[in-house]
Amino acid sequence: MEDEQIMQEVRAGNVGKLEVLFDRHSRALFRYFVRLTSDHAWSEDLVQEVFFRILKYRHTYEPETSFRAWMYQVGRNVWVDQATRRKGEVALPENAGEIGGKDVPADRQVQSREEAVLLRKALAALPPEKREVLVMSRYQELKYDEIASVLKCEVGTVKVRVYRALRELGDRFFALGGERA
Amino acid sequence: MTCERVREQIADVLAGRLNAAARETFIDHLEGCSACRAEVAELGVVWRGLDAMADPEPSPQMRARFMETLRAYEEGFQEAQRKKTYSDPRNVRKPGWWSALWPVHPAWGAAFAATMLVVGALGGRMLLSPRNGEPAANPELSQLRGQVESLRQLVALSLLQEQSPSSRLRGVNYSYQISQPDREVTQALLHAVNHDNNVNVRLSAVDALAKFASDPSVRQALIDSLPMQDAPMVQIALIDLLAQWNAREAGPALQKLARQSDANESVRQRAATAYEKLGGTQ
Repeated sequence: MEDEQIMQEVRAGNVGKLEVLFDRHSRALFRYFVRLTSDHAWSEDLVQEVFFRILKYRHTYEPETSFRAWMYQVGRNVWVDQATRRKGEVALPENAGEIGGKDVPADRQVQSREEAVLLRKALAALPPEKREVLVMSRYQELKYDEIASVLKCEVGTVKVRVYRALRELGDRFFALGGERA
Repeated sequence: MTCERVREQIADVLAGRLNAAARETFIDHLEGCSACRAEVAELGVVWRGLDAMADPEPSPQMRARFMETLRAYEEGFQEAQRKKTYSDPRNVRKPGWWSALWPVHPAWGAAFAATMLVVGALGGRMLLSPRNGEPAANPELSQLRGQVESLRQLVALSLLQEQSPSSRLRGVNYSYQISQPDREVTQALLHAVNHDNNVNVRLSAVDALAKFASDPSVRQALIDSLPMQDAPMVQIALIDLLAQWNAREAGPALQKLARQSDANESVRQRAATAYEKLGGTQ
């Protein structure tokens, strides 16, 4: 059954069905938050919060709209709420990212562990709005129109933002590596 | 094709999301533009480098915690539905009515059973008592009702003081079953609105207080709570409630929030709309 159909059932009062949507999307949502916050425990709390709000505000879900886009919209609000309260507390744990061996050909991997660490640091140092749009596009595989509906802007604006975020990530990464001034 | 347009498509190219025709146009441009070629090469290193970051896995507790919250919510929801059904006079005598009174928290189950014993004993006395003084039964009946009510209040208060947010949430939901909550319950709900560290509990407590529109002290307490809140969802819930109550006395607090530059944009807009709805002018 499609996500949207299930969400309509939840909306109609069959709240137990939310378990199915949680099982389908909580892991991706968790990874989204880890990439934004670099904090596993906080990311788990954020996931809880998102699904609780989905439950509580289920009547605001508009049938026929993408459940995934709506979920990320709720997720974004939750993150903004909590990040505002925890300003300055975002840390970068050592295990936030590792060199991934799975299914990535050797020639496509960042050369060394040090470089992966630099890239991770560069991503964490991006301004939140740039990190957010890049994570949505790069990792969550959200389409531009879905990102546009989450960020409430035009598709063209999303494209420009993704490019700028990637450009800034590159600048920070190369600067950390000492290859660029 | 301009360099600007090409650069907007770099992420699509790297992700393999561009269709064949667009890719051709893109490549045509690269052939004649060394700056864009360098840009694609450099950002390609970064894009592929992001592959190297492992996919983090949540702990098994994440699902367990969610399921606990979902079940608690479901229970509260069904309880509310049942209450709705039984409050309809046509359904009052359906079997299972008493099950709606049974406390969810096991600790109070025993206390509830004990009270039911008292109810039984008093009920027996009532049946056996002579009928010449007809008003005599009424005070006892209201005493019984009072006991059930107090028990419910105790259960709600006890749950509201629990450590786990899902229990406190259950406490808030339980408070819906109390037809006329006393001062202690409303104070506990107001305390949750202002001080609970879990935003879900704060939100639910705001909802639970919605039935106290006519209580001036609750109205004032919620107006006073507006500047204390930092979560936009709770601020919006409070604004909506005050607007729904047509609480004109909330005007100054709403106006202040609407003008507060560091407040969330949606909150400011909502506060401005509510302020105007209540008769204020910006």
